[in-house]
Amino acid sequence: MNILLLLVWIIILFAVVMLHVAYATYFERKIIGHMQVRLGPMRVGWHGLLQPIADGVKSFFKEDIIPANADRPTFLAAPIICLVAMMTSLAVLPFAKGWVLADINIGLLFIFAMSSLSSYGVVLAGWASNSKFSFLGGLRSMAQVISYEIAMGLSLVGVMLLSGSLNLSEIVEAQGNSILGMYLIPQCIGFFVFFISMLAETNRVPFDLPEAETELVSGYCTEYSGMRYAIFFMAEYIGMMVMASIGTVCFLGGWNGPFAVPFFPPLWFVLKIYLFMFIFIWIRATLPRYRYDQLMDLGWKLLIPLALANIVLTACLKAMIG
Amino acid sequence: MQIQYKPKRGWLATIFQAEIVQGMTLTLKRLFSKPITRQYPDEKPKIRPGFRGQHALVRDPETGDCKCIGCMRCAMACPSRCIRIRSHKDKEPGSRRVIDCYRIDSLRCVYCGYCEEVCPVNAIVLTEVYEYGSYTRPSLYFTKEQLLANWDRFAAELDTPVEEYVNPFWRPRGLSEQDLPAPKRLPVSPEWSGEQQVVGRKWRQHHTPEQS
Repeated sequence: MNILLLLVWIIILFAVVMLHVAYATYFERKIIGHMQVRLGPMRVGWHGLLQPIADGVKSFFKEDIIPANADRPTFLAAPIICLVAMMTSLAVLPFAKGWVLADINIGLLFIFAMSSLSSYGVVLAGWASNSKFSFLGGLRSMAQVISYEIAMGLSLVGVMLLSGSLNLSEIVEAQGNSILGMYLIPQCIGFFVFFISMLAETNRVPFDLPEAETELVSGYCTEYSGMRYAIFFMAEYIGMMVMASIGTVCFLGGWNGPFAVPFFPPLWFVLKIYLFMFIFIWIRATLPRYRYDQLMDLGWKLLIPLALANIVLTACLKAMIG
Repeated sequence: MQIQYKPKRGWLATIFQAEIVQGMTLTLKRLFSKPITRQYPDEKPKIRPGFRGQHALVRDPETGDCKCIGCMRCAMACPSRCIRIRSHKDKEPGSRRVIDCYRIDSLRCVYCGYCEEVCPVNAIVLTEVYEYGSYTRPSLYFTKEQLLANWDRFAAELDTPVEEYVNPFWRPRGLSEQDLPAPKRLPVSPEWSGEQQVVGRKWRQHHTPEQS
């Protein structure tokens, strides 16, 4: 019975997240359009509101082309690895008090593990496609993930030190109800490092080197078409949402807001996630892509030392005060 | 000259990434500005004077045929050589040339408008019709009948009477009145005929753009 109920919750979560992913693409296209003084999608439905559904139907019925020289099993598995890893991390996210599928004690570590796993999907896709663009995209993705994973993990150590837990619900509880309790204020350096490496982890502009459209066609998903291409996109957007949720949980106080919402407790959580998504899109509309060596410089020479300094500082302060 | 690629900035500007913040404010401002997109099939652009679109042969209201006299000037002036004319002259003296065939390959046309400028009787015109795309090539090789039909379609949609319609290109620009043959001395607006001719960059100063 318990398992059945859990299954129902999983299906509800899956459906809701998929809907959000679909509309995140719409949100992104509209915002970027208006930032570039265009309109964005306008044709399908009122102001293009049905566009994501039309896109989904289109990519579902498109031909699934597999290159003759591709490594077939790996090629087929790569997008699924990406999507599954990203969707798995949804399980540990606390959407509101008690609204979490698996309230495990290593939530944060679990999310790190899963986001690293999803980059395997990207690397394998680049490898299996047997095309130079895909291969370069996969290589870049590997290098980028390795260097930014470290910075990101280290940036969250400060949060772990302050809250004394890896459980995401407990991290939220530790921040308390007020704005002053948010770890954004004591962990501003950590947040800075986290934010930049979050952009790099999700392969977003200005760190979208793995799928740099202007130089690598479409990077690791050049050879993909139809639904498999769409799955990569879904994985990217779920990745964005997961990263936004970690940012919300660890730095912005999770589901806590200025007042409690009676019927829909995750409201503040969702609003904060959308704030993050908006910033993702805003940055995409503004910044150009990093050069490859600059990307490595930023990761190794700036973010990792900053994150390490932040850990030392936090630990010292905590030892002195509490 | 030395180009400074990396502008100097203070340590505060470095820490807070002043340039990035500047860029972000710009895009945020643009987010709330009015989009300039025109929803094309619903919202047609306004055709401005001097637009050169689909070809047509003006139908002479007296004879019901085209005004062409078979002088071949348009075919000579055409830079892409897309006009093909065949004509013959009847035996009795004083009769005008009869046009057997007048064809324009509109796929080769570059829409320069030389043909209408050079035509001594204002027989050919580039109308303001621009939506005549087609899936087949032969439908875009206009014969004389098709060109006359193009004119009829265009004339039916004109606001002014057909007799008063004057295409600005029928009067070549930059020529004074006495240099033109009689049929080309047409009442076009002064900005087209001589000194006041407004083209290029000056156009916007004279006409405030109602839609940019």
